[in-house]
Amino acid sequence: MNQIPTEMLSVLIESTQEVFEMMVFQPLGSQTPIEGEALRPRSNVVGTVAFAGERSGVVAFYSTTATAQAITGLMLGIPAADVNGEMPDAIGEITNMIAGTFRTKMAATGSRWAISIPTVTIGSDFYTKYVSDVRRVLCPFTMSEGNEIFVELILTQN
Amino acid sequence: MRFLVVDDSTTMRRIIINTLNKVGYQNCAEAANGREGMERLAESGADIVITDWNMPEMSGIEFIRAIRANAATKDLPVLMVTTNAAKDDIVEALRAGINSYVVKPFTPDTIKHKIEAMLAH
Repeated sequence: MNQIPTEMLSVLIESTQEVFEMMVFQPLGSQTPIEGEALRPRSNVVGTVAFAGERSGVVAFYSTTATAQAITGLMLGIPAADVNGEMPDAIGEITNMIAGTFRTKMAATGSRWAISIPTVTIGSDFYTKYVSDVRRVLCPFTMSEGNEIFVELILTQN
Repeated sequence: MRFLVVDDSTTMRRIIINTLNKVGYQNCAEAANGREGMERLAESGADIVITDWNMPEMSGIEFIRAIRANAATKDLPVLMVTTNAAKDDIVEALRAGINSYVVKPFTPDTIKHKIEAMLAH
């Protein structure tokens, strides 16, 4: 199975870092990406945006509930403890901006596609599974105070 | 200066209003889609509209067309704030009648400069 092109991966990492710097006011440290079907991160919050066009797939955001609350608080300029119901919408926006920035930067290289509206899943007893004929890479990032997020790129093979 | 911020995301409305407050604009009303936006404009007016693109019921593009088709609002400055940043998107938004365009993610300075440039015209 082919690997995800390095250039795409770099653009996804750059897009994620750009969104966090501008909208969450947090620099993100990028860790080594994990290719393939490695163990998925333990996450209670998953944001996804699908895309279709010259390439098709999904951009997915993963974090724990505590990290998602912290991100929401930073976006809104309020303490994480005061976040009350805004978190799903905020994570949907973050996922949307990561996918949108990724799409825009990829369009500049000639690869065009449309993106869906974001979907956010929150829970404690679920996992995300995609059809087998995909390439996937998981990008781990570190924030301040030990918080971690993960952004996954899943590409269909066609 | 009265702003109307139209976005289906409550988070994004609050971020934009926080940004406007930071750069010195305190009078901000909000609406969740284009239809609500038209209702707010009819009720209390605005001096500048900031709108998202992708919204349920009435999208940002339909909202802008409705603003330009209404004699009372046809000259209202409109800033679009969206993740749709492809060249074709910008052309479509300009044809619909936007005055300026900000791509998410954005910095407060970007919003400030775009508003100042719109007001200078």
